[in-house]
Amino acid sequence: MVHKKDIRILAFESSCDETSTSVVKNGREVESLIVATQIKSHQRFGGVVPEVASRHHIEVITQITKEALSEAKVTWNDIDAIAVTYGPGLVGALLIGVSAAKAASMATGIPLIGVDHIMGHIMAAQLKEEITYPALALQVSGGHTEIVLLKDPTHFEIVGDTRDDAAGEAYDKIGRVLGVNYPAGKTIDEWAHQGKDTFDFPRAMIKEEDYDFSFSGLKSAFINTYHHAEQINQKLNKYDLAASFQAAVIDVLATKTIRAIKQYQPQTFIMGGGVAANHGLRDRMNQEIKNLPQNMRLKVILPELKLCGDNAAMIGAAAYNLYQEGKFADLTLDADASLELPYASEMLQ
Amino acid sequence: MKILSMSTATNNLSVALNDGAKIITEKNEFDQRNHSGHLDPLIDEILKENDLSLAEIDRFAVAIGPGSYTGLRIGVTTVKMFASILHKDVAGISTLQALAASCAEKDTLIVAGIDARNDNYFAGAYVNKEDDLGPECVIPDGHYHIDTLLSAVAEYCANNNLENVIYVGTGFEKQKEAIKKTNIPFSFGTEKQNVVHGGLIGKLTLNAQPDDPDQLLPNYLRRTQAEIDWHKKTGEAYKPDSNYVEEV
Ligand SMILES: [Zn+2]
Repeated sequence: MVHKKDIRILAFESSCDETSTSVVKNGREVESLIVATQIKSHQRFGGVVPEVASRHHIEVITQITKEALSEAKVTWNDIDAIAVTYGPGLVGALLIGVSAAKAASMATGIPLIGVDHIMGHIMAAQLKEEITYPALALQVSGGHTEIVLLKDPTHFEIVGDTRDDAAGEAYDKIGRVLGVNYPAGKTIDEWAHQGKDTFDFPRAMIKEEDYDFSFSGLKSAFINTYHHAEQINQKLNKYDLAASFQAAVIDVLATKTIRAIKQYQPQTFIMGGGVAANHGLRDRMNQEIKNLPQNMRLKVILPELKLCGDNAAMIGAAAYNLYQEGKFADLTLDADASLELPYASEMLQ
Repeated sequence: MKILSMSTATNNLSVALNDGAKIITEKNEFDQRNHSGHLDPLIDEILKENDLSLAEIDRFAVAIGPGSYTGLRIGVTTVKMFASILHKDVAGISTLQALAASCAEKDTLIVAGIDARNDNYFAGAYVNKEDDLGPECVIPDGHYHIDTLLSAVAEYCANNNLENVIYVGTGFEKQKEAIKKTNIPFSFGTEKQNVVHGGLIGKLTLNAQPDDPDQLLPNYLRRTQAEIDWHKKTGEAYKPDSNYVEEV
């Protein structure tokens, strides 16, 4: 057997309120993962404040770089590429990772790879199981709600997108109304399991032929219901509220995703992003896929819960695929806050 | 001693290579709004022209603030990483001291400032001493309203029998009328003096204490508006930043 050299990538991620570094072997094996979270800081303000986020990122960047190497028991000599998220995200926050990665690349002579954050989220799946292509991903987080078609490990196309709020953003906004600390997703998910869908909130765009989403109407319906009850001194059951909200979100996500699976017939289904940690959504997608006709059954990869949120391991996984195709960046690499995966050609008509 | 120094604090992107106090090369990109895409290529260019690698640099230096918050972080992150990875010295130099260092006049108060809009300035005042160690700070770097700054300047000049002031940096010319009222003879910096020079930062590091790369942070001189509002609203004290970030 021909000896194949292991490829080790040191990855940086700083697009929002987590500063993270990781060493990933062969795009599959997490040898170290350091995540410094700023949640406590932003809880003071009820959401992420970009300038505060950037200030925290720079405080920890050199320490967590050393920790990623030492935890993986490697030195710079063992690293084959340095990867970094360059967008989308908060520009000031992204710039810490980008500046750090470029400086590291200059100081060590190790090649640089720029990674799309969304591609990273989807590739968290690769850290669990091998992906068979074509694959279809439901990418749901505080910033994005997209159905993405993966033609191969580096060519992704958006087939559906939110027209307004991201699903995770809607969770945070209704969480604020219910007095739940940011980020609200986990608590709402727990409450939803203790309540019933009694409010029948709207399922926007569920019947439309495309794969797009809209969550701002649901958010408004929720807030109106809540405030109306407050005005007439009526106390609503928070568990039922949470269950009704979550049911509306999951119904739309699941219905549209299943329809996309039926159209594109992928070999693998993947979930990615912070909301991919939602138990209600994971259970529902597993169930729906079980119910597919025999000839449409496919591999399902739901990433580990701790790899659903922002982390550098997923960036290292995606970077490995880019490395295989020789897609390197140079020293002019810049943060791109509004970086977007390409839209599938049929969506552009 | 080879020193690589840079400033990304203002619109002037400046990178320089010094051998001790001697400036070997300095490159400037005036009115550069994209420091992120240009800093590393500029460093690379200087190294190549001088046939040096980063590993041959003995000390890294950077304008640590005040200045554009985003700009400062690009420069500071870059030197932190260089120094941390290559186990070299790193030093952060006040952007205002670097500005003041462009003025050689003695017996003169050098007021260095960066326009922070609405008649506010990130500013400090400096004087050159006989020893050539670089300008010494006499009015601390801070965020001042122009009126507060000018009364501090007047007071310092009166107490120290100084009869000449130079205003160097950005946004001072529009304060000409207010400055006249101090009744102290004054002049403005030249175009060349009004920008931050990497070479001068390199020179100033010769007398600066090296910093720990992990601890080196921009000197913003201002908390974020969100923190100021939170503090006002809750009355809670500011805690060290490290209390808010945790590894999970
Ligand atoms: Zn994310």
